[in-house]
Amino acid sequence: MPILADLHNHSCLSPCGSLELSPRVLAAAAAAKGVGLLALTDHNSALNGPAFAAACVPFGILPLFGMEATTTEEVHVLCLFASLDAALSFGELAYSLLPSFPNDPERMGDQVYLDEEENIVGEVEHYLGAALDLGLEDIGPLVARYGGLVVPAHVDRPAFSMTSQLGFVTDGPWSAVECVRIPSTVLTRGYPLITSSDAHYPEHVGRRPFSLDAETEELAPGGYGRGVSLEALRTALSRRPRS
Amino acid sequence: MTIREAAEALGCEILQNEFEDSDLQGGYTSDLLSDVMANAKSGAALITIQAHKNTVAVATLAALPAIVVCNSRPVPDDMLASAKDEGIAVLRTAESQYVVSGKLYALLPAGAA
Repeated sequence: MPILADLHNHSCLSPCGSLELSPRVLAAAAAAKGVGLLALTDHNSALNGPAFAAACVPFGILPLFGMEATTTEEVHVLCLFASLDAALSFGELAYSLLPSFPNDPERMGDQVYLDEEENIVGEVEHYLGAALDLGLEDIGPLVARYGGLVVPAHVDRPAFSMTSQLGFVTDGPWSAVECVRIPSTVLTRGYPLITSSDAHYPEHVGRRPFSLDAETEELAPGGYGRGVSLEALRTALSRRPRS
Repeated sequence: MTIREAAEALGCEILQNEFEDSDLQGGYTSDLLSDVMANAKSGAALITIQAHKNTVAVATLAALPAIVVCNSRPVPDDMLASAKDEGIAVLRTAESQYVVSGKLYALLPAGAA
């Protein structure tokens, strides 16, 4: 039976995300919509990963960790990891590539991360909405080195997308391309297409999941506790429609 | 020269009209918002084609009182709503960033940047 997947979601860690959207609220709302494979992708940070991992367990949701990275070109790219540790390591690197521009929570929004009990354990100092010192050419190979895969985000949107920044979808090691709508209004050059919710508020959760042609056992061959096989995910994504 | 005076001299339409009509200290022309955040000087008008809500957020952070949207780009309502909240002027023109920058450079006193 195909699994319902949603690979683009924010939490209270993103400055533009609602403070109400904790990892637990995200997991619960996604579970209520039948989502079985869920990624947390805050802007340029994976620090809510530990709380998200714990939040997914009671619902039996397979978690993916990572972030929505902003490249130097201001193109948003989903960087997805099966391993929380890998996501956190990549997150540390990403933070070092972010400009040292302090966040102003009053104006830009809070950037808080939580522990497994959903207590606020910290606040990120630098503004996460800025662009990393990391170009689109380099992000794919770098994420691969950390064991992750990359999916250009909302390529059909008028801001922070390949189309808005570069004019078109460029070639790269993309496991899929995320669109707001399928069929896409822009040329996607044969990459597998997905939609996802890009939730910033609780009411956005589960608004655009997609069907992934894979059994749970295939995606998590070692059982739930061993997490997702990224190879299996890549294979399943390759079966998605390409136009 | 104030924002309204500049809008008139540049032939811009004013899409977001609720702002304090302060003197422009200069201009900054860029379509990369992180560049604007890092390099624009406060009090400048932002000359850009990036017409969306995040442009307002960056203008707020960088203390830029006006955004000039070029090439008649469509301006979404949520951008105008957010600019109204922040008291940032949103102007629009059919001209390019190059032309607007050149005109504004000539209009402002020498030394404005």
